[in-house]
Amino acid sequence: MKNNFNQFIICLSLSLILFSCMENEPERILGEFDSGILIMNEGAFGANDGEVSHLNPSNGTLKTNIFETANGRPFAGLLEDLVYEDDKLYLVANTGKIEVVNPGDFTSLGTVNSGLDQPRSLTVNSEKLFISDYGSYDQNYGTPNSYIAVVKNILGGNVAKKIPVSRKPEDLISFGKYILVAGSEESKVHVIDAEKEEVIKTLEVEGKPAVFYEAAGKIWLYTTGSNEVYFYSFHLDNFTLATTNIFPIENATGKIAFGNNDIMYLLTSSGWPDYEDGIAQVSVLGPELNPKWYSGSGFYGIGFDKTRGELYLAYANGFQGNGTITVLDESGTEKRNFESGRGPSGFLMR
Amino acid sequence: MMLFVWVMLLFDQKVEKADTLLLQEIQIEAPAYQTYGQGKKRISWNKEELKSYKNRSLADLLAEKSPVFIRQYGPGMLASPNFRGTSAGHTAIFWNGIPINSPSLGQSDLSILPLIIADQIDLSYGSDGALLGNESLGGAVHLSTTPQFNQSPNLSILQETGSFGKFHIGLEGSYSTEKIGIQTKIYHQNNPNEYSYRDFSEVGSPVKKQDHAAFQQQGFQQDVHWKINTNQLLKTSYWWNKANREIQPILGSFIQDTQSDESHRISLQYFIQKQNSILEFRSGWVKDSQYFNQIKNETSSIFFNSDWSIHHFSDWEFRLGGRVSLNSGNFSSYSARETRLETYQFINFSGIKHVDVSFNLRQLKYENQWVPFIPSFGLNWKLSQEFLLKASFGKGFKIPTLNDRFWEPGGNPNLLPEESWQGEMGVLWQKGSLESQLTFYGMEVDNWIIWKPEGSIWTPQNLRKVRNRGIEWENKLHSSFGQNKLLFFWSYTFTHSVNLPNPEDPTTFWNQQLPYTPRHQGQASLKLSKSKFTFQIGSQYVGSRATTLDQTRLLKGYFLSQTQLGLDNLNLGPFKYTIQFRVQNLFNKEYQVLYLRPMPGRSFHINLSIQL
Repeated sequence: MKNNFNQFIICLSLSLILFSCMENEPERILGEFDSGILIMNEGAFGANDGEVSHLNPSNGTLKTNIFETANGRPFAGLLEDLVYEDDKLYLVANTGKIEVVNPGDFTSLGTVNSGLDQPRSLTVNSEKLFISDYGSYDQNYGTPNSYIAVVKNILGGNVAKKIPVSRKPEDLISFGKYILVAGSEESKVHVIDAEKEEVIKTLEVEGKPAVFYEAAGKIWLYTTGSNEVYFYSFHLDNFTLATTNIFPIENATGKIAFGNNDIMYLLTSSGWPDYEDGIAQVSVLGPELNPKWYSGSGFYGIGFDKTRGELYLAYANGFQGNGTITVLDESGTEKRNFESGRGPSGFLMR
Repeated sequence: MMLFVWVMLLFDQKVEKADTLLLQEIQIEAPAYQTYGQGKKRISWNKEELKSYKNRSLADLLAEKSPVFIRQYGPGMLASPNFRGTSAGHTAIFWNGIPINSPSLGQSDLSILPLIIADQIDLSYGSDGALLGNESLGGAVHLSTTPQFNQSPNLSILQETGSFGKFHIGLEGSYSTEKIGIQTKIYHQNNPNEYSYRDFSEVGSPVKKQDHAAFQQQGFQQDVHWKINTNQLLKTSYWWNKANREIQPILGSFIQDTQSDESHRISLQYFIQKQNSILEFRSGWVKDSQYFNQIKNETSSIFFNSDWSIHHFSDWEFRLGGRVSLNSGNFSSYSARETRLETYQFINFSGIKHVDVSFNLRQLKYENQWVPFIPSFGLNWKLSQEFLLKASFGKGFKIPTLNDRFWEPGGNPNLLPEESWQGEMGVLWQKGSLESQLTFYGMEVDNWIIWKPEGSIWTPQNLRKVRNRGIEWENKLHSSFGQNKLLFFWSYTFTHSVNLPNPEDPTTFWNQQLPYTPRHQGQASLKLSKSKFTFQIGSQYVGSRATTLDQTRLLKGYFLSQTQLGLDNLNLGPFKYTIQFRVQNLFNKEYQVLYLRPMPGRSFHINLSIQL
């Protein structure tokens, strides 16, 4: 017993010495935008006036054009995605560039501004950026040359390699040294080895793969069909499909918000000629299913603030000017409205 | 081959000079917009005034010499008109009486309409669907070639070289007898467009050289006018135009799009003069092909017109007519055809002393839509020797384009035509060498079509209602002292064009000035000439413009200036030379017409014209 105690003291001392000698990463001082809600304003086609707004939900203060304010230059792109990974914020413009900023104050850390066509999203893995890109259009507006671009510096730089994937890749998610890619047009999921920079496996799924997320210790994929939506989970040891959940929700657009108690909110749109938009409520892990939880028209983006139990719904207002955000509570009751930037399309809760 | 024919004509034929012949004249009915456009404002540029613009485009002329605001996406890139606060598709463009706006887009790219092809350009202001037909809400531009008979043969070579690698060459030849007038125009230009600009979207705003805005253009126009006998005339024109362009990317984008536009246009006009009347048959064919990257879009339009003008009564003139238009489009996403039928009746009355009145009506049918009442009314009232009062009232309309109705996905077959009602009143004051014109107009445009996203699909809807009010004031002063001639021109345009409240819009959009519609514009130019020497300097001011309806971002107003020094009609052997040196953007102003689309700084151009 005494021997064990001595060993414990020695181990503890060694640990203390070891940790005191380790060189820690300098801590980043948290900035204004490390909390609150970031609103992605896509911008209008041909105008490249995408931007980010910041909302402080505790006092309702909204700051617009925070990229331009922080950097003294316009963002100059159509903002497709806003990705927070590795304590950096990546602004993905589908007009062909990525801006890397400090998430606290939005000051620029770097860019990727060559070698891309129509980037959609990215993930950081193995100290590299992996960027999903539609590639260029062919004569039929098809995208047969879609790819995942590899940039070997997480602060940006040149595209070092393009890994061919199925048409119109969207979301990506990292797991260890692997990356899952949502191949939206051909209903495929690609598995990429980030170190080898190659596709090692491709899975077939139903619907259009849209968004990956993590829940209950698993990686899930949300895909949309015309009359139903699908939620897949994966075996992460051999990258095979584990579970499939199907819900009868029509006309889902692929935009999703994650609420409290494992409830998800899915944006739907009937399209021509009625153009009826809606929000469906569903849970894979719980019993909720309400295909008509909320309805209206002109919905363009959705987000959920778990802290306050509020759903944020974005209206693009036809891109004629700034969009509008409506805040709903968990019963679907409208709480307030406010104006955001041009074409609000998504939210990042910090 | 064409050059050879011209050389043969020039040197083998002997034609008497025009002023030595007594000609048998045929009375040609002037275009309806001239004869029946009483009370309407119109400005014109004749062959002489267009001389210094022959190597340039319609976009350049309108930007420098008219109150039309040109939305230009870069030098040589897409340029569309914004006339009296209306949108790009609300200005009709005619070539020899044939409408040439694309039936799929409902507009023309003014950058690729070269001025070498036109002998006369008229700009009609405001809504007049009765007289001009579809699309004339903000106004209309008329490009025309004029018949020439009994003129000396002429062959001219025009060249321009300039900054950013620009090279333009044109060839004009004409030959005529008492009965036949032939005119040929050939042009080619190459412009690498390698201008420097500051990329203020990047860290440190580096100065870059434009490397993806090159364009080439070539074309050919052939006019043959045949005076068949003393009361019959045939006018034919054919115009081929092709432009290949690299599409200049907006700042922050690195897309390397290319576009090729090719058009074939044919106009045929046949006049028969009867006692107290003229019959006119006109037909035309326009075929536009566009390759955007590898994506091909094609449209075709055929027109048949017949008009009967009656001058039987001394104080009355009548014109009755009809038109059939067949439009078709083949696109990557859809194919469509449509037929339009129009009839019209124009009346002029001059039975009241010092007053000329016109009253015009048009009826239209397209698909299953019937628009029975499109009127316009106007009067010119000569108040005194110095003052002329002009007043008019009219309706304009625009049929939804093929894309608006049939684009897949999103086209909306239920769209209504856009409609405008406009009234204008103006005074023209002429005293001695001073001419001043002040015009006020008010217009309302309803069912304005806007494309907006519905879910993931963009679709057009009759959403907007717009009220336009404006003032246009133009002044000209001619003066001569000794051999020196002076022409001073200055103008001011005020445009108040607002989006009226619509419950579907947020209130921040209500009663706001439309995007890219400057409230204030001004122009001034001075031309001094003495003998063969000409000096010109001009300047334009374009006021601030909002990029969106809620005015959250305003682009700064800008002044642009240009100057030109010319020596005309220098004789060297059998040839006549004209040399011009021109500086565009004289003060090297950094400016954007549209957000994130920097325009070039100062550029230098030398023109050499040789007349054989």
